Amino acid sequence: MTIVRTENLSKVYNPDTVPVHALRDVSIKIEEGEFTSIVGPSGSGKTTLLNMIGGLDKPTSGMVRINGEEISKMKDSKRIDFRLQNIGFVFQHYNLIPVFSARENVSFIMLLQNRDKKEIEQRADELLEKVGLGDRKDARPVQMSGGEQQRVAVARALASEPKFILADEPTANLDTKSAMNLLDIMSNMNKEQNITFVFSTHDQRVIDRARRVITMVDGAIDKDEYQNTETNEPA
Amino acid sequence: MKTLFIISWRNIWRHPARSAVLLAAVIAGLWAGVVTVGIINGVMQQRVDYLIESEITHAQIHQPDFLAEGYSRLFIPGHDEITQWLSNDPRVVSFTSRTITDGMLQSPIKTSGVRISGINIETETQTTNFHENIVDGEYLDSDINNAIIMGEKLANDHNVEIGNRIVLTFEDTNNELTSGSFNIVGIFRSASATFDERNVFVRSEDLIAVLADEPVFHEIGIMLQHEDMAGEITSELNAEFSGIKAQTWRQLSPELSMLVELGDVMMILITTIIMIALAFGILNTMLMALFERMREIGMLLSIGMSKLRVFGMIMLESIILTISGAATGFLLAWLSIRHFSGAGVNLEMFAEGAAQVGWDYIIYPVLTPVEYFAILVVVVIITLLSSLYPAIKGIRINPLEAAKNT
Repeated sequence: MTIVRTENLSKVYNPDTVPVHALRDVSIKIEEGEFTSIVGPSGSGKTTLLNMIGGLDKPTSGMVRINGEEISKMKDSKRIDFRLQNIGFVFQHYNLIPVFSARENVSFIMLLQNRDKKEIEQRADELLEKVGLGDRKDARPVQMSGGEQQRVAVARALASEPKFILADEPTANLDTKSAMNLLDIMSNMNKEQNITFVFSTHDQRVIDRARRVITMVDGAIDKDEYQNTETNEPA
Repeated sequence: MKTLFIISWRNIWRHPARSAVLLAAVIAGLWAGVVTVGIINGVMQQRVDYLIESEITHAQIHQPDFLAEGYSRLFIPGHDEITQWLSNDPRVVSFTSRTITDGMLQSPIKTSGVRISGINIETETQTTNFHENIVDGEYLDSDINNAIIMGEKLANDHNVEIGNRIVLTFEDTNNELTSGSFNIVGIFRSASATFDERNVFVRSEDLIAVLADEPVFHEIGIMLQHEDMAGEITSELNAEFSGIKAQTWRQLSPELSMLVELGDVMMILITTIIMIALAFGILNTMLMALFERMREIGMLLSIGMSKLRVFGMIMLESIILTISGAATGFLLAWLSIRHFSGAGVNLEMFAEGAAQVGWDYIIYPVLTPVEYFAILVVVVIITLLSSLYPAIKGIRINPLEAAKNT
């Protein structure tokens, strides 16, 4: 089942002054259960593509469909709600709410979804157990290491039960041990629960673990290849 | 809502020192503002009460030209019918008739122009509290013939004291110059040194004996159950009796009326200044907090927090901070005003200057519940208005801020 589909996606910054073509006619499909890395040098357009897929930015032309719904033409308020219900985000800088504990950070997104209080508490605890932070539920971000914070961020991304998770350079600020640990967690979730992950990364450790690698150069797809897999085929 | 409240509350205490400074500024500003308004109100109220209760009364009746010309022949016609009418009106608490003329006071050393008021001791005491101003000697209920009381300043100027005699010269009702010798029985000190310098009081029968062939009265001072009744009762008197002019204290003393209005203007002015400072304090603090949290708010918008909730979160932070500060400031101000309304604010060091302009040096601050409520409403409105800009700026943050590397 296709989760993400882009067609002739283009993004031009400063069209009236000094145009910068961040994306040029990008068409991709991401199927449910994929573990995909978008790679490329700085300025190649990988983060822009991720932002388009995540509905954080609007394309200049082309379209983005998530689970069959075109999000590129949605109004701001509808897109925000769409993101809440369908997309999980993991950021390079973790971006946890500093005044909340790990548990509250994970619960927060479910509170935004107006879920039942008991269900929220139960699911937050389960997710923190899954990412190996069962004993750090009450710790605030400032009391946690970078690796721990990023694991909380993964748990938060999963909390809303999204269709897929977008991770922008998730290991960029982590040491090797923490990065490998985080990748193990995400990889296991992908394998065991068929959760779809899409990464934008420079990190060879992430690229090595991905089953699909989309390489971008100058805003266009240069290569799209599968590795370490027997199930997925290129789009 | 509970989540928004929790996040807002914790955001406030993210930088305890900064929030505490704003809180302290709100508390100090509100306290100082409310107490200052209370003191100004107290000053105005005391002045008005003093003048009404000791001199002007709520309403007065004169012959229409008397106040402008001051001739003793311009006395009130039909005095007895008017006093009969006043006696029968339940709105009237008391009234007193005065015989008044302008004249010269001669002592062995100098001569001064004064207003001579002949009063009825019994009704004057029921109507005004002027007798409380006696600081030396006794009031006009003395057994001494042709008794007179005079202001402390005037007595000092003339170097006279109790037991001395002075001569009053004035025009009688037949326009003939006449004079009488009076014995000083008391010295008074009112709130105004100017008043003390220009007024003397004698018994009305003593003055009438020299001034006219029959009892004449130039002024009737009336105290009512409430000052609000002054307008209607003067209208009725003017309609009922011809040849007189009844006026309210506001008409008789426009400067006093203006003083009351000035008090209101001062309250608005002080409140406005405090509110502007408060608004900039909130604006500055909230904008600083917002600029520090661009990435975090970008993240909240990215993960799906609606703009309405982000707006509410920022507004709530300002509201919690300001309202808790304002509530504390109000409480302190209320306690201060409550204390000083009994004990008074003693400004004795300014007593001499205050007396020159007719002010009391012990101030009893006053603030009505309506005034407290009005200031509170203004605080709430200013808080909301000054929180709006940061909140609007907050919802305009691009979710892409969350992904920025710096």
